[in-house]
Amino acid sequence: MAGGASGEPGRGAAAGTAVPETQEHLFKVLVIGELGVGKTSIIKRYVHQLFSQHYRATIGVDFALKVLNWDSKTLVRLQLWDIAGQERFGNMTRVYYKEAVGAFVVFDISRGSTFEAVLKWKNDLDSKVQLPNGIAIPTVLLANKCDQNKDSGHSPSQMDQFCKENGFTGWFETSAKDNINIDEAVRFLVENILANHKNFPNEDDVDKIQLNQDTLRAESKSQCC
Amino acid sequence: MSRPEDAVKEKLLWNVKKEVKQIMEEAVTRKFVHEDSSHIIALCGVVETCLLHQLRRRAAGFLRSDKMAALFTKVGKTCVVAGEVCRKVQELQQQVESRKSAGGNQETLRRQGSTGGKPPTLSPQALRHIWVRTALIEKVLDRVVQYIVENCSKYYEKEALLADPVLGPILASLLVGPCALEYTKLKTADHYWTDPSADELVQRHRIRGPHGRQDSPSKRPALGVRKRHSSGSASEDRFAASAREYVESLHQNSRTHLLYGKNNVLVQPKEDMEAVPGYLSLHQSAESLTLKWTPNQLMNGTLGDSELEKSVYWDYALIVPFSQIVCIHCHQQQNGGTLVLVSQDGIQRPPLHFPQGGHLLSFLSCLENGLLPRGQLEPPLWSQQGKGKVFPRLRKRNSSMRSVDLEETVMDEGRATDYVFRIIYPGHRHEHTVTINYHHLAASRAASVDDDEEEEDRLHAMLSMICSRNLTAPNLMKDAGDMIEMQGFGPSPPAWQFEPPSGRSSCLSCSVRGSPYGPPNYCSCAQDRMPLRLLCENMKRQIMSRAFYGWLAYCRHLSTVRTHLSALVHHNIIPPDRPPGASGGLTKDVWSKYQKDKKNYKELELLRRVYYGGVEHEIRKDVWPFLLGHYKFGMNKKEMEQVDDAVASQYQRVLAEWKACEVVVRQREREAHPATLTKFSSGSSIDSHVQRLIHRDSTISNDVFISVDEMDPPDMGPKCPEDSMAGTVPMAGTPGTAIVEQQQSVEFDSPDSGLPSSRNYSVASGVQSSIDDGQSVGFEEEDQGEEEELDPSASGPRASLYEPPDPTQEDTPQSSELGAGEELAAVCAAAYTIELLDTVALNLHRIDKDVQRCDRNYWYFTPTNLEKLRNIMCSYVWEHLDVGYVQGMCDLLAPLMVILDNDQLAYSCFSQLMKRMGQNFPNGGAMDTHFANMRSLIQILDSELFELMHQNGDYTHFYFCYRWFLLDFKRELLYEDVFAVWEVIWAARHISSEHFVLFIALALVEGYREIIRDNNMDFTDIIKFFNERAEHHDAQEILRIARELVHKVQTLIENK
Repeated sequence: MAGGASGEPGRGAAAGTAVPETQEHLFKVLVIGELGVGKTSIIKRYVHQLFSQHYRATIGVDFALKVLNWDSKTLVRLQLWDIAGQERFGNMTRVYYKEAVGAFVVFDISRGSTFEAVLKWKNDLDSKVQLPNGIAIPTVLLANKCDQNKDSGHSPSQMDQFCKENGFTGWFETSAKDNINIDEAVRFLVENILANHKNFPNEDDVDKIQLNQDTLRAESKSQCC
Repeated sequence: MSRPEDAVKEKLLWNVKKEVKQIMEEAVTRKFVHEDSSHIIALCGVVETCLLHQLRRRAAGFLRSDKMAALFTKVGKTCVVAGEVCRKVQELQQQVESRKSAGGNQETLRRQGSTGGKPPTLSPQALRHIWVRTALIEKVLDRVVQYIVENCSKYYEKEALLADPVLGPILASLLVGPCALEYTKLKTADHYWTDPSADELVQRHRIRGPHGRQDSPSKRPALGVRKRHSSGSASEDRFAASAREYVESLHQNSRTHLLYGKNNVLVQPKEDMEAVPGYLSLHQSAESLTLKWTPNQLMNGTLGDSELEKSVYWDYALIVPFSQIVCIHCHQQQNGGTLVLVSQDGIQRPPLHFPQGGHLLSFLSCLENGLLPRGQLEPPLWSQQGKGKVFPRLRKRNSSMRSVDLEETVMDEGRATDYVFRIIYPGHRHEHTVTINYHHLAASRAASVDDDEEEEDRLHAMLSMICSRNLTAPNLMKDAGDMIEMQGFGPSPPAWQFEPPSGRSSCLSCSVRGSPYGPPNYCSCAQDRMPLRLLCENMKRQIMSRAFYGWLAYCRHLSTVRTHLSALVHHNIIPPDRPPGASGGLTKDVWSKYQKDKKNYKELELLRRVYYGGVEHEIRKDVWPFLLGHYKFGMNKKEMEQVDDAVASQYQRVLAEWKACEVVVRQREREAHPATLTKFSSGSSIDSHVQRLIHRDSTISNDVFISVDEMDPPDMGPKCPEDSMAGTVPMAGTPGTAIVEQQQSVEFDSPDSGLPSSRNYSVASGVQSSIDDGQSVGFEEEDQGEEEELDPSASGPRASLYEPPDPTQEDTPQSSELGAGEELAAVCAAAYTIELLDTVALNLHRIDKDVQRCDRNYWYFTPTNLEKLRNIMCSYVWEHLDVGYVQGMCDLLAPLMVILDNDQLAYSCFSQLMKRMGQNFPNGGAMDTHFANMRSLIQILDSELFELMHQNGDYTHFYFCYRWFLLDFKRELLYEDVFAVWEVIWAARHISSEHFVLFIALALVEGYREIIRDNNMDFTDIIKFFNERAEHHDAQEILRIARELVHKVQTLIENK
């Protein structure tokens, strides 16, 4: 099942073809924002390369898993939690947020009220989940449906300022419909998560060590003669 | 297999077996195995470990760092197949090398899915196991291993797995399966590196075997009502089920221990028949001891399956649960022994005739052990040094003996041949009570967290104290009692031994005759007999203490059950079969009979049919309004029409109200739109703050809000056909005038100050008063102007006031009306507070968002019907603005619309439904109650699963059931199943439980409990699993389980 990283650093395989160690990470990433801003669409676009106007309203939470071959040494499994837009009013977000290492806060560029709600979501998030060292999880702001409102005229510098003031790691104008900037936004978030991960390795690594020990034990057993 | 080396080899092989199983499962469930599947790597890993086991060090440079390479190269020299593999591997390695040296893009190491051109990339894991992996994918691994096994002496030490004459070939043959699979390079989005999907998990579960509910063997039996049913009648059920299974049941299996088995035990099934030889066996399961006798004809496998099932011998086979047996008659004869079992009701079972040679005695000895610890044979068998158990030597019954003593027949002094053993359960009059007690003892230990060992120990100490004070001489018990306790109930003969029976019969009688509560000091041989006496005392003590526990735990358990579960179910059980036919459901026939004869048909009987069998689809449209409370059962046609009329007029009125408001909202949005843009473009929250301030300003001047408390229901039915609703909104002038005429106005400060949700916002009167007062100030300057302009004509266009065009409908020609509409809207705007308009705007937006995407893949939801859905939803929300629209409401309305296909009816039924369902939404608080109840139910009914949920990150908050309860399982099931489940939920309220949804939820969890358990799911897993299983459930099965669970809780509570 989805728990723990099952990867293990490879030892040199055949003589002469030493292979670098591979690390496998499982990251829980939240996607939050007001209802109807396109959270599900962004996820479906990202994971399944699909778009539909008719995704049903999410009730509670939905899931998607995406595997990224990050680089030659790193495999990233993203577990995307698609949280219903009205859940901020329920008391369950605390459970949903648990152990998340990154988040997207989405708003609809064509509806100002959803932008106003962005800070409410951010506050909800920060009050309920932190990294092990107590700092806020990396959060990326997505200005979705940018295909609908090309001339909205908001200046990038103002958005940068907004992000800086409110603790967002960064922001992207996205469109799930036209597949704009979604891969980039995810890549940006994962970079941040990985950076955090290097500084503060979490329990995943404990699992990994245990796995290695198992392997080693089996091998030493087989080699003692 | 006793030596440690053997154990290692076994383990190695077992690992291979496990991985082979995994990979074969994947092949079956996914139809193919991807080359990058983790199962391949895993299999390669374990095979490699086997190959490395005890590989000879010096042979052909096995000291080299890569032993696999060395082994394969060496083998390749003599084995053609292995040689091929070597060549392939070298090719692959060269490709990898060249890629590396070329400094190619390292972004993706994974194979890109092309077979030509580009050299394949291999994952590091694949490279690690390149030798075995290549052999596997080339489908020759089995042959290579076979070759190595055949020539093992060249490569392996004697102790090696591959050199093992048995295990080596087994390894090779295990690999035949995986070598027959197709491995694909095709890359699909979902098919690798993902967790198995829910479907796959379910399928794998089915592959593993058609078992029913099982607890993992290592665990204590969970509680249960369920358990008791299943195992209590297990033997009989299985017997009826299938002959094959029956025969298999005679063997020892995970559930039952075979205590005794003997063939050629003769039974005379009928008086006029000869005795038939058969197989006698004694089976012990967790709670019962069962004797079976099966005629040889059924055992020896000469009959085919069909013959086997039909065979008359089934009638002769015996299955006797020992709980029914009170005594056993034994007759020793020259040619063996005969045994007769006598039931509580005095009925004798056919005599079982044992062959010669002490079989009768050994059977009794097994039986005696099997009865422990609860029951025992009275008199007990004696243990004799060197001989094991012997028949007790007894005297004729003595009048001074204890009442619970034996009833033996003594043929002649010294050599008894006939015995009567009673099966007794000391400390309890009724053995059934004992069974239940023990059952619950185990269960509640598992279930309740606070019932820990410590408490148990304290109780135990207390009990021993009571026992030793009251029943025995304390000084004697203190030492000897403890000593005996250790040996007390073991199946082997106790450590102390009797003297040869010859000269000691008098002593026995004295020890028996003496007071059981004190040392028989008048008997000279008392000292010798002490161990026996102490044993008896100790037994008594233990039995009492255990019984006490059982009773205590049972009471405690029942009180838990009563406190937590009592309110969840109705206490009177309404069965499906009295009168019969309820499971047939509410059919068209039954319904038409009811309609003809309403007076004599009982509501409860109809509901009972719905509960046990559902409603025939054709009549759902007619029945649902009754189930939902729109109509009352027993209403006549006229009464029903009255209800319909009232609802229709109310609906039209509400519709008119919010549509009018919507016009204002739209108008306002159009005007505010540039502002929104400006605000957003600034990108800071200051502007929105400013805007809020503006709002507040306008609110101050606009606070007057007027409503009409009482109002005649406007008569507008025929003028307003539903179908035309989609286009324009035709509103007759009458209600407007009616409203205006009633000037009983009441002022409110703000619509948010806790107004009753059902109140009516009167547009017309609001306009009237605000105009009259002249106090009202528009929130925008333009409004002010328009309002003033309109002033003189205020009394004129009343009719047009109620015909505002729907701005959402752009396809209707309304150019001429549009101007007037906007003007009017501006006027109306004065009647609404800004808060109200904001609230309405927000809700309309939410509704629009959700209506647009409501079940668009279901045929019913065409644009026309979606518009109806929107109208009904807006009407409902307009009446409940305090709660507003919450996501999920559309999901609840949609199935009602599909069935009823009538706006007013759907509106009314939805309002009824929301009386219950509304409580689940955030403001209601029912959701938390559901979760708490789920917790209690699972804890009590399935403690094993509860423990698992508790351990794996504790998801006993049951949030994974949120969507289930919020939408009455609407998203979990297909539409057809939603209909079926919903009507049962509605009927259940009157038949079995107002909280039937809990039992459906429980049925869902229980339906997959083995999968949840075997995969050791945590919160994420389980929520993901059920999300993926949505619309794949067997609704009828779930309903069946749910009804069964209700029944079990009912009986649990009833059983006082």
